Amino acid sequence: MKEEYICRCEEITREEIERAIAEGATTISGIKKRTRAGMGLCQGRTCRRLITQMLSKVKDPAEITPPTSRPPVRAIKIGEIVEGEED
Amino acid sequence: MKTTEMAIIGAGPAGLSCAVEAARAGAKVTVLDENLKPGGQLFKQIHKFFGSREHRAGTRGFRIGQQLLDETEKLGVEVLLNSTVYGLYEDRLIAYIKDGRDHTLKAEKIVIATGASENALAFPGCTLPGVMGAGAAQTMINVNRVLPGEKVVMVGSGNVGLIVSYQLMQAGADVVALIEAAPKIGGYGVHAAKIRRAGVPIFASTTIKEVLGEERVEGVITVELDEKWKQVNGTERQFEADTVCLAVGLSPLTELAWMAGCEFAFIPALGGHVPIHDRNMETTLPGIYVAGDVTGVEEASSAMEEGRLAGVAAAESLGYIDAQKAEELKKEIWGRLDALRTGPFGEGRRAAKFKQLSSRRLMA
Amino acid sequence: MIQKTGVIYQGYPSEQELSKSPGVPSDERIKRGPVAFIECVQEIPCNPCEEACPYGAIAVGQPITNLPRLDEKKCVGCGACIAKCPGLAIFVLDGSEQKAKISFPHEYYPLPQKGDVVDCVDREGKAIVKGIVLKVVKSPKYDATAVVTVEVPMEYIKIIRSIKRPGRS
Repeated sequence: MKEEYICRCEEITREEIERAIAEGATTISGIKKRTRAGMGLCQGRTCRRLITQMLSKVKDPAEITPPTSRPPVRAIKIGEIVEGEED
Repeated sequence: MKTTEMAIIGAGPAGLSCAVEAARAGAKVTVLDENLKPGGQLFKQIHKFFGSREHRAGTRGFRIGQQLLDETEKLGVEVLLNSTVYGLYEDRLIAYIKDGRDHTLKAEKIVIATGASENALAFPGCTLPGVMGAGAAQTMINVNRVLPGEKVVMVGSGNVGLIVSYQLMQAGADVVALIEAAPKIGGYGVHAAKIRRAGVPIFASTTIKEVLGEERVEGVITVELDEKWKQVNGTERQFEADTVCLAVGLSPLTELAWMAGCEFAFIPALGGHVPIHDRNMETTLPGIYVAGDVTGVEEASSAMEEGRLAGVAAAESLGYIDAQKAEELKKEIWGRLDALRTGPFGEGRRAAKFKQLSSRRLMA
Repeated sequence: MIQKTGVIYQGYPSEQELSKSPGVPSDERIKRGPVAFIECVQEIPCNPCEEACPYGAIAVGQPITNLPRLDEKKCVGCGACIAKCPGLAIFVLDGSEQKAKISFPHEYYPLPQKGDVVDCVDREGKAIVKGIVLKVVKSPKYDATAVVTVEVPMEYIKIIRSIKRPGRS
């Protein structure tokens, strides 16, 4: 059977996320730091919900808060910020 | 740095309705949207809307969108397109990229109307080309006029799955099966009936086991689920298909509200963690409002009403509407919102919204 | 395997649900001439049918989640409601002559033509019987929803609800 990708940007499989949870990860950030899931181009927009579902087997979903949100929250080119503001 | 009285992030049904109300009252309004065209998801809604006359029932969604655009134009609302808001900072400062350049905008009131994004589903083969969100397929057929495939398996029997199945057939595709993990159909029966009489089989208690294909989708193996959502061996079915559409719910796009520091509540019926707001749609941060799917996933008609509420409330606090007039307007809008949140399909959302509105008091 | 019936399982209303629905006319009324047959059995917030009827034969009232109630005495079977229902759930049945006439909303192109012999389908989309297209009404007021009338043998008046999509057999 084919691999089951949870985070397609960083190509992280269900197995890898499950391993991270088994190793003690209890937050989305924890899984992110262990596996890189959610650190790709889409910044977790596809996998965050799937990871939340997987985490909810070991933790109350109400306690699984969104990961820290930092700018940029949308995919933009870093050069566009470096260019600076137009007056 | 640019300044405005009221900045609205997102030019979908909620954002545009909000802009119309506020601008009508006299506020200087700036709407930002990352897309090349305004309207959000309204312009791909080619079906007739439900509701009553006040909700423009019986009118096709894209026509409602066109009318909203005409009104914003007439009222002189500034709409910044191709403008991606990437940050929301203290003192209501918005950072955005427009035309490849960095910009900032400072506003006295900010309305976050960023909508929601489609949920994904993971299964072996879920990254094969041909697997896509139902909303993406809807954009392809109704906006770009491109057929994503000839033979579609639709996953999810909520209104999105049912409506997009119908529209895929209108566009010329065949929907070979619609599957639903729950034991019953989630969306309106009338939407289900339309696709049933077009010959689409609906399989409840069924999920995807695997999508077949090397370079792209060639087939789908489904499997039935028992009461505990476990796959039942021996219940597999195989369908020849080139497209798999996922209509498995939406998640509010709350990053900006979260970054700004709005307090959230966990309400599964609304899509998870959502910003708390009051009856004016104002969040726990003064001057920052939310409207539409970002506050919890519903549909376009209620998004427009929430947008109007935020527009009236923000214009009132800017001093453009007196308290009595604002109270009247808000009462009317709440009446229409409550009407949309009744009946077996709406009651759950109404209870969830009540929980959201009272979360502040619970926390205090 | 027990097949559960009803709109939430099958995706279309069962005979039992229809018989309890206030939008469904009596058999006697259907025999007397054209009449609306409203297959709306769930309390959803929607009422354009009420306003669509020029004879005041459809009532929803408050709250708008009420099921539409058909006054079969007032209904003349004009079909003005067919294209106005956003759920495409209203049909007009005429059992007054030897053959049954069934009118339904249709939103697939190309539209059938008057005189075409077509595959008529039931609520599951199964081709049951051939029928003749008597009428295809397009009107700007209908906003791109056509209303098609087919003629089929009388025994199918409660069964046939649409035709095969164009190009499908």
